[in-house]
Amino acid sequence: MSSLSSHDSKPKHDLKIHSDAVVCHESKLRGDITIGTHTVVHPRATIIAEAGPIVIGDYNIIEEQSFIINRLSPDADHSKQVVMEIGNNNVFEVGCVFESPKMGDQNVLEVKSHVGPNVEVTNGCIIGTGCKLRGTEVLPENTVVYGRDCARRIALDRPPTQGLQVDFLSKVLVNYHHLKKPRSANT
Amino acid sequence: MSYLSKSDIVKYACTCGQLKSITNMYFCRHCLKLRCGYCVCHEVDSHYCSNCLEILPSAEARLKKNRCQTCFDCPNCLNTLAVRGTTVSVRDPDDPSKVNSQKKYYHACFFCRWTTRDAGLPDQAVQTVSANGWTHKETNSSNVQRVTVLLERARLLGTLERHEREQREKKFTPRSRRTFTHLPGVTSAHVRKRAGLPPELPAPSTIKDTLAEFQPAVAKESVNPLPEEIFTKAVNLFEITTMPQRLAQPEIQPVFCVDLLPAYKHLSTKRSQRCRECEHNVSKPELNPSSTKFKIQQAAYFHVPEVRLVTAGALIGGKDTEVVLLFSNPSQHPTTLSFISLREAEEEEGNKQTEDTSDLADQQGEAASSLSSLTKPAVVLEEPRPISIKVTGNVELPSPDAEITLPPKDDAAEYDYSGETHKSHNDPKWVMHRRANKAAVSFTVTPETGFTGKRCVIGFVLRYTYINRIPSPGSFDQKPQEVRLDTRLFVDCGKICSK
Repeated sequence: MSSLSSHDSKPKHDLKIHSDAVVCHESKLRGDITIGTHTVVHPRATIIAEAGPIVIGDYNIIEEQSFIINRLSPDADHSKQVVMEIGNNNVFEVGCVFESPKMGDQNVLEVKSHVGPNVEVTNGCIIGTGCKLRGTEVLPENTVVYGRDCARRIALDRPPTQGLQVDFLSKVLVNYHHLKKPRSANT
Repeated sequence: MSYLSKSDIVKYACTCGQLKSITNMYFCRHCLKLRCGYCVCHEVDSHYCSNCLEILPSAEARLKKNRCQTCFDCPNCLNTLAVRGTTVSVRDPDDPSKVNSQKKYYHACFFCRWTTRDAGLPDQAVQTVSANGWTHKETNSSNVQRVTVLLERARLLGTLERHEREQREKKFTPRSRRTFTHLPGVTSAHVRKRAGLPPELPAPSTIKDTLAEFQPAVAKESVNPLPEEIFTKAVNLFEITTMPQRLAQPEIQPVFCVDLLPAYKHLSTKRSQRCRECEHNVSKPELNPSSTKFKIQQAAYFHVPEVRLVTAGALIGGKDTEVVLLFSNPSQHPTTLSFISLREAEEEEGNKQTEDTSDLADQQGEAASSLSSLTKPAVVLEEPRPISIKVTGNVELPSPDAEITLPPKDDAAEYDYSGETHKSHNDPKWVMHRRANKAAVSFTVTPETGFTGKRCVIGFVLRYTYINRIPSPGSFDQKPQEVRLDTRLFVDCGKICSK
């Protein structure tokens, strides 16, 4: 329960949640975060806006234990803000870590994958289970990273959107979890 | 659980001289010896597809190149492909204004997301896709023909070799086998089968004729020149296949990812293990591919006392330290443990062998004339290999007469949380504590000097009593017998520190 009370004590005025988004109360959101319509944030997901605001688009699924952080690197210029932008229809599966400031649409970060701060994720990319990308690069569209050696290939299509899953989760999560209230009315 | 499969701290010496953890060994209940994967006969019981769980007889499996005819492997990452269904809307040919929805199927890899659509293969109307629709892409069929020719040649060479071997053996085996053919209903093929010989082979002359027709591959002086752009054009690794991908499809060996075709799935086998000495099974799985149980499983883990390292003090060269080992009895009978040094055991072994050799010679002469030699091929006994581990610590063992008795394993005791670690009254003082079928024993270990930074390995012989419930074939005594068995143990106590 201590974690719950800590949530309450935090000032929430930076948090902007669209009215149709489903953000569970047990998720950990810190800093200036904007969450778009129909995006689902599961309990125990962590989003931390440290170096600047995080803007998350529509129809994203952010699963349990996933970790999205706009990290402030120690040698960076503190006066300049870096905005992390996440597009639409992305899936962050259980235990993934996302640190990059840019993500396009329809990407899938599979279980326990890791995207470092200097990797730009474009559209339709799949980072496979346990794959870690820590270099500096721009992933071409529809890249699939898979396997122990992080082998790559370019897929023909983007992965299918998870519209049905988003609808289902928005119906079900409400029954078992308290939600963070959208603040768009006040702002 | 990982200690079961990965632990290499305590190693047991197999009868063949290999060092393995107890979970990787078998125990033959008939010759009462430890057996490892290297000193048992592996036999393939059945071929099955691990995806659709269909069993194929071995002849059919060989005919189909050991591949399942309904399941496919991903050509990209070599995992199994799964069938996916989609609904496609098709315009009605009769009435263009109407749109019909149709169910279509394609194969997709859930791992690397490769689909048959990537290869440009059309979606199928039925769920069980036959590859016939796909093989039309195989334009480069010269490889296929060559592979078939090579396979056939290899098969013929195998037959020829078997023929020659049999001829060689015939010189020495008694011809008494022939005498059975006068019995009604017993054909020569039957006798061959009984004697464990392969069926009658075609004459070697015909095989040699066929082999003579074979054209070996010829090394060519002139090869096609490399294309111009090979040095100037940047290579796009996304478009080019890797070596494992090419080698997985020897028939087409695609160079470009676009040409990858789904491959038939490799069959898996269920294997049984047989003791080389007495030919009894030590492990035999159930035939049903979906069952993970065994008909026979004589794992050493069920019979031989298990040893685990509990604690080891600071290991410093030349200084005494205490090492605690835990012994547990996995069997249903009480067992008595005693310890012997490796040197003493070697001396005992040497004495025994000189006595045995004369006996063995007598037995073999007798056996050759008896019927059993016909049904059983001669046992090939190999000398055990020398142990390949360096002992870097001296262990002070209790005297060989000192014994501790472990009670049988009681499954219910596993759930007894009373936590009593009582000491039996007559236990010597080197027994630290006991619980159910386990006892912790303390040893004094002195790591040798000059091995700083290396692992401290101690070795000793564990002598334990085993209740043999299988009556020996000669005796009519059906009572279980108590026997004393020895096994050599090597324990890695840790790194030897300088100070």
